[in-house]
Amino acid sequence: MTAGEAFRLSAASGPVEPDESTDVLKRLQESALDLLAGLDRAPRSLRIRTDHVEIELEWADEVPAPVVAGLSVVPSVPSASAASASASEEEGSTRRYVTAQTVGVFYRAPEPGAKPYVDVGDLIAPGRQVGLVEAMKLMMPVESEVDGRVVEILVADGASVEYGDRLLAYEPADHS
Amino acid sequence: MFRKVLIANRGEIALRVARACRELGIPTVAVHSTVDRDSAVVRYADEAVQIGPGPSKRSYLSMPAIIESALRTGADAIHPGYGFLSEDPFFAEVCADNGITFIGPPASVIASLGDKAAARTLMTEAGVPLLPGSLRPLVTVHEARAVVDEIGLPVIIKAVAGGGGRGMSVVRDEADFAKAYRETKAAAQALFGDSRVYVERYLDKARHVEIQVLADTHGHVIQLGERDCTAQRRHQKLVEETPSPRLSERTRVAMGQAAVNGARTAGYVGAGTFEFLVDEDDAFYFMEVNCRIQVEHPVTEMATGVDLVQQQLRIAAGEHLTLRQEDVRPNGAVIECRINVEDPNRSFAPAPGLLEEFVPAGGPFVRVDTHGYPGYRVPADYDSLLAKLLVWAPDRAQAIDRMRRALDEFRVSGPGVRTTAGFLGELLVDPVFQAGAHTTSIVDDVMAGRASAPVQRLAPVVEWVPDDDAQAA
Repeated sequence: MTAGEAFRLSAASGPVEPDESTDVLKRLQESALDLLAGLDRAPRSLRIRTDHVEIELEWADEVPAPVVAGLSVVPSVPSASAASASASEEEGSTRRYVTAQTVGVFYRAPEPGAKPYVDVGDLIAPGRQVGLVEAMKLMMPVESEVDGRVVEILVADGASVEYGDRLLAYEPADHS
Repeated sequence: MFRKVLIANRGEIALRVARACRELGIPTVAVHSTVDRDSAVVRYADEAVQIGPGPSKRSYLSMPAIIESALRTGADAIHPGYGFLSEDPFFAEVCADNGITFIGPPASVIASLGDKAAARTLMTEAGVPLLPGSLRPLVTVHEARAVVDEIGLPVIIKAVAGGGGRGMSVVRDEADFAKAYRETKAAAQALFGDSRVYVERYLDKARHVEIQVLADTHGHVIQLGERDCTAQRRHQKLVEETPSPRLSERTRVAMGQAAVNGARTAGYVGAGTFEFLVDEDDAFYFMEVNCRIQVEHPVTEMATGVDLVQQQLRIAAGEHLTLRQEDVRPNGAVIECRINVEDPNRSFAPAPGLLEEFVPAGGPFVRVDTHGYPGYRVPADYDSLLAKLLVWAPDRAQAIDRMRRALDEFRVSGPGVRTTAGFLGELLVDPVFQAGAHTTSIVDDVMAGRASAPVQRLAPVVEWVPDDDAQAA
């Protein structure tokens, strides 16, 4: 996880004069990045405040559980992907996931009966389409943002997905 | 009645709507961002769908995500709450196009009332008094200046597509006008995607009094009394109350009638609020219509015993309003304090965080609408309202005492968490507020450490009105 992904800068969202807040935000961002660069493990969240220089860091103890709605009776696919996701976490912590960027229906192929965009074992690269999510008649391509090899397809063709649901698992390519 | 309602909102109002649905036996779907996955409504609703990441644009403002969630879960109605998409006529249309009932007025009514300049024109037709100003949006700064010359300073420049206190600026000096005009247009473009503005006379020392209306699809319109929302900071309400202190009965009746007339003329359906400014002479002027349930709706609920959200659901389902105007009899005094996670000692800077301690007030005649709970982490991504604290009492003085007791016992703390509860307690003991003589400058005055002088001519608190004038039609 990069420093950029690891923290979310808590910016003032109240009524602040535009000029002030831009300067302050800039300096805060620079301090935050310096601080994070010096840590050996990226925290889950970071809060810095001005005036009193109050800094708060929080580290996640473990990988957060997949999303589960409180009293949800949502159709089964999310729990299926949750089950396979936790199984794969036991096997190895190098797995990464391509997740749904919207609510909708996930399709593995451009059309019914057509060859799926990817199968287990395929190589993926940034920009390679790995699926489709359809919401309100709009087909949104799911694209890989990384180099890697597909190790598991987690969602059945035609299943409903929510934002953030894991669609497929991949092993990232090694960097030399 | 609906078979399932999807709640397209978050925080305290989402939970409020979910409760109304539960009382009507309607299953609920909560849509939420990743940031809100542990929120109160997600735990309370029957189903939940995660629709996007924290940023509202990709979650609570994402029409495809919300509609898709409704279609998948079989929800046949969507309650938009307040803010977000609640006054977006396009969203109301999209719901209708997809066979989903939007709980609110028809898209065309939202569109006409959401255009603040068009709303003024409509209200003129309804015979509702307006502040002097432009009826049409202004095209050039010269046209704007001409209006100013006609109506005199100070003026307020407002975005046509604005509302809720945003996209407006006050001009007191001729020399500042051109700059303020340009800047307001730019802000309007940035905030609402529409740079059109209009100009109105600005009332320096005014009271903000609004009227709650309910209108069904069968032509019945009633008003449920007023809420005084004068205590504001930068046009954001902090304390609301009913009845409005020092509002004459004559004015109260006239405003109620004006709101009903305005609602009829606009073809309003559902729960709506007509906002007015009242000057030192008790003259009242239309400001805007809010085509949604409002934050401060519980004030009216506690005074009248009417469940406004339930009424919204019934009206949207096509039911007749069973309440007649004569059934609406506000009783006693109600005060609401908005408890925000902001630090009054640092210019109300947002102060969200983990609520290690969260113990709301309770006891006689106290209501708390909140999504907070011990262990809840207030996100930084959304507005700062944490809880609405309300009290009822037989009269205003007792209500103030009760509210002070309630504010005192409301405990919220956590690392970095600050709330406005203490500041609100100070506001309530301010002598000008206690006298009910405050105007829209009260919060700034309290902050500056002094109270503004009471209004020179005090209107009588109660004025006897002959029977034939007393009832609104």
